Amino acid sequence: MEFSDHIKTANVEDVVLRQPLHPPSRGTLCITGHHLLFSEREEGSSQQVLLLLRNIDAVEKRMSGSSGTITIKCKDLRVLQLDIPGMEQCLNISRSIETLSCLDNVSEMYPFFYRPTDLSLQDQWGLSTPEKHYTQMKELHERWRLSSVNKSYSVCPSYPPAVIVPNCIDDETLKKVAKFRQGGRFPVLCYYHRKNGMVIMRSSQPLTGANRKRCKEDELLLQAVIEDSDKGFIIDTRSSQQVHQARMTGGGFESKSFYNCWKRLHRQMERGKALQESLIKLVEACSDESHSVDRWLSKLENSKWLSHVQTALSTAGLLAECVERDGHSALVHGYEGTDCSLLICTLAQLIMDPFCRTLEGFLALLEREWVQAGHPFQQRCAHSAYSHARFQQESPVFLLLLDCVWQLWRQFPLALGFSEALLLRLANEVYASDYGTFLCNNDQERCALGVKDRTHCLFRALLRPAEIDYYSNPLYEPTELAIWPSVHPQSLQLWRGFFLRWTQLAHHLEEVQEEIRSMVIEWARVAQR
Amino acid sequence: MCKTVTRLETDQEIIYMCPFSGAVKGKVLITNYRLYFKSSDAEGPVVLDVPLGVISRVEKMGGASSRGENSYGLDITCKDMRNLRFALKQEGHSRRGIFDMLFRYAFPLSHGLALFAYLNQEKFTENGWNVYKAMEEFRRQGLPNNKWRMTFINKRYELCDTYPNLLAVPFKCTEDDLRKVAAFRSRGRIPVLSWIHRENQAVIVRCSQPLVGMSGKRNKDDERYLDLIREANDTTKKLTIYDARPNVNAVANKATGGGYEGDEYVNAELVFLDIQNIHVMRESLKKLKDIVYPNVEESHWLSSLESTHWLEHIKLVLSGAIQVADKVSSGNSVLVHCSDGWDRTAQLTSLAMLMLDSHYRTLRGFQVLIEKEWISFGHKFASRIGHGDKNHADQDRSPIFVQFIDCVWQMTKQFPTAFEFNEHLLLSILDHLYSCRFGTFLYNCENARDQHDLRTKTTSLWSLVNSKMDLYLNPFYTPESGQVLYPVASMRHLELWVNYYIRWNPRIRHQQQSPVEQRYKELLALREEYLKKLEQLQLSDSSSSYQLTNSTTPNTTSSTASTPSQQYTHLQTPL
Repeated sequence: MEFSDHIKTANVEDVVLRQPLHPPSRGTLCITGHHLLFSEREEGSSQQVLLLLRNIDAVEKRMSGSSGTITIKCKDLRVLQLDIPGMEQCLNISRSIETLSCLDNVSEMYPFFYRPTDLSLQDQWGLSTPEKHYTQMKELHERWRLSSVNKSYSVCPSYPPAVIVPNCIDDETLKKVAKFRQGGRFPVLCYYHRKNGMVIMRSSQPLTGANRKRCKEDELLLQAVIEDSDKGFIIDTRSSQQVHQARMTGGGFESKSFYNCWKRLHRQMERGKALQESLIKLVEACSDESHSVDRWLSKLENSKWLSHVQTALSTAGLLAECVERDGHSALVHGYEGTDCSLLICTLAQLIMDPFCRTLEGFLALLEREWVQAGHPFQQRCAHSAYSHARFQQESPVFLLLLDCVWQLWRQFPLALGFSEALLLRLANEVYASDYGTFLCNNDQERCALGVKDRTHCLFRALLRPAEIDYYSNPLYEPTELAIWPSVHPQSLQLWRGFFLRWTQLAHHLEEVQEEIRSMVIEWARVAQR
Repeated sequence: MCKTVTRLETDQEIIYMCPFSGAVKGKVLITNYRLYFKSSDAEGPVVLDVPLGVISRVEKMGGASSRGENSYGLDITCKDMRNLRFALKQEGHSRRGIFDMLFRYAFPLSHGLALFAYLNQEKFTENGWNVYKAMEEFRRQGLPNNKWRMTFINKRYELCDTYPNLLAVPFKCTEDDLRKVAAFRSRGRIPVLSWIHRENQAVIVRCSQPLVGMSGKRNKDDERYLDLIREANDTTKKLTIYDARPNVNAVANKATGGGYEGDEYVNAELVFLDIQNIHVMRESLKKLKDIVYPNVEESHWLSSLESTHWLEHIKLVLSGAIQVADKVSSGNSVLVHCSDGWDRTAQLTSLAMLMLDSHYRTLRGFQVLIEKEWISFGHKFASRIGHGDKNHADQDRSPIFVQFIDCVWQMTKQFPTAFEFNEHLLLSILDHLYSCRFGTFLYNCENARDQHDLRTKTTSLWSLVNSKMDLYLNPFYTPESGQVLYPVASMRHLELWVNYYIRWNPRIRHQQQSPVEQRYKELLALREEYLKKLEQLQLSDSSSSYQLTNSTTPNTTSSTASTPSQQYTHLQTPL
């Protein structure tokens, strides 16, 4: 089916666009396979608004007489309104938007058509690969090896083809362990702490089931992780009640009697639907314009979003404490090991590892821990807070990560090498993008569709000289120390730059960032002469 | 700090019951200015340095026979969002000495003693008393002119004992008119000019409530006077009267002889701004203290914060001021009053002026604003703060000025480049609001200050500030005159000022604006240095007829220029 089949009306003249922070403007509306384009047709101005249809979360239409109004609610939380003359045109436009904004077929999506002149498809896709990462980490080589047991994705469909495992564990053992872990996600190394040689592993839950099955190979693997040290910590992102319930459906936990060197710590983290509902409530509260009944703080609290932020940061803090302060290795998992586990592993690395706090290091971290590690972006980010569609797998875990990183950035304004603008950009791109980085659910799917050959990589694009300045923190001052966030509710703030970005105020604050940036750049220029 | 500090009590073993690190043994030193405590524990010593002026109440806790560890000692309630508790050995009336000293020197006025500001001999390079000269400030605003004149009718504080001695009034009114109006305005606080818009000549006029009373008295002179104010601006069709109070409170005030302007003021419109009175504000801040000190509320922080209503009051004050500023900038004169015109009125006029006039957003301009709208117009600092007074439960006390500074802080958060001063200035102002080290915030009005020779016998807070201006400057400041700042007064954009209200809790990481500021200042300083170097090089180069500006050849400067990135990393951050 061609895109044009979905477009009955491609052009409408005399449309009025209303958008936040701008006065209403009159012009031509144009619908293409992937974009909505509005060009102002007023004298002396040539404003254009180009919107990826994929960015549209919900469309609402309201007819009155011979014309209609379409309200477009975007995944970046912007709300646009189009007054369209002609009932039929209005209906056609809204139908086109509805269909084209949620195409299921990944290879029809815009990244496969986006061809900017300054990027070439021959360029390397991605910043690194598991192989390169392993080669660079020389300290690892003595005790850890790179296994290609998953090279055809047959052992774990959501893992990359190469993973890092203990030297003494062979591929046959890994295959058996994979059968004992949900979705085949056997424990793999995600972080090596140079200061003390301790590591963070992540996996999915063990499939112990109701009759307490065990798996010798799994026990062996975990024993190999801690080697001769006395103990390791398992951070389970579920409550102890939840893990007992999980056994009834075939899941479970590492019991003390079979993993006697491992100590389990439970921290219940919400995910999936609960998180999605939290986001919806928060966005509702943020866009509620009624000032008469101003119960804002209660609404903010009731959305529970900030308490999810708090839990994520404090669990990550706990993980970092195990590794950095107590000097023990840790294994992290919940159920599938594709959401909360990634979230807290990422945050813990930011807390401990100075390299992850550089712009490049942060993007590489996201590539490793989210893209390669198989966070199901396509399922999680199909819709955002406004959609009326019934939710299936949607959950704003990645957005929660960005929020947590922003809290770190706010508490340690000099310690991170990137700017708030980067976090905002990522929050947009993860829902609708010109680039292929966040397409699909895992590496296997990406390979099947040729994403790495037929789309451009966002992370590489962000590091182009033209962009890098904008996404760097001009006041960045590297520190080797761990940055321990305060997780008191008084220390956490609503990420206004994102959730209230379409209000006037966010602009002043952007201006200040701009001011600092230009100041520092000017200073650098002077210093260079 | 100064010669006249007297050491009063020294070196007694005492236990500070720190709410954060538990019982700490140490020694206490009390002077007539401060209480100083240092723990004997060498590593990570706990230090307390509390000006006695901050103390609101000192109580003995436990008796000689109380049981339980550390149950015998002193409880100190402070005005700055904290309490202190000390425990002593239950023998030989060990606390009596300290208690007596604290009681005497924290509340000198209750003991017939002078406030510390009168003993303080500090010397500064700047004299802060010169910051504000009423006439100079009127001249800066372009006054007097053909519509507004200066009057010395209050030279001896006879017309109104809580007003300053120089007033700006409509050109057309006579001194006799003023006297008649004074009879109809609570405490003689007649409508006088606070600020005039340079371009459109619209004015902000302030006063107290009219004495309407239950019988609904009218006063022709007052009505005519308000019309004179309106007429002084061509574009004002109706004079807008902003009554800061909630409508019901204004009505209730009639019972005690007050009230508000009724329909008889034909060329005026009345708007109530719904701001609560001093008692409500005091209780609100008390509730806030309950949820942040000593322990911060954890589980339902946001709804607890909401139930204090503190931010809601901030919102109402700010949005009231926005309405005032908006009216004036659109060419409409306004009159602002509450009941007496020294609390809510001061908040509204000063905040509106801060929005309208970029001069007040400079370091010195802000001092002028406080001197003018708060100090000279008789905000009752002495009654609201209770300097040196032991009556901690006095119903006159209220954090109105704190609330104003909070509003200013909210504005600086929303417009980080619009203010020449930084958060440190606001914190210092609030610290010295209580400390009694400076004369700035002492007494209720100019009349009382004159009687007590305040300006000759004490030092101004601005002497301290202006002698070390660097500390109080906002490096992000980019002056833009003529721009009206309208902050967003929606609850969504207001924040609790954690750096002030929760600053005693070491576990809360405050938003670290200061390291950013610090870092930025360092960068600015480095830039200065390089510019200077560059200039010198250009000078020496031009003497050898070498043109650096067009030169692309790397010369000796490039070797020094490669070092900044190294210097960059050596700068220390207080993380």
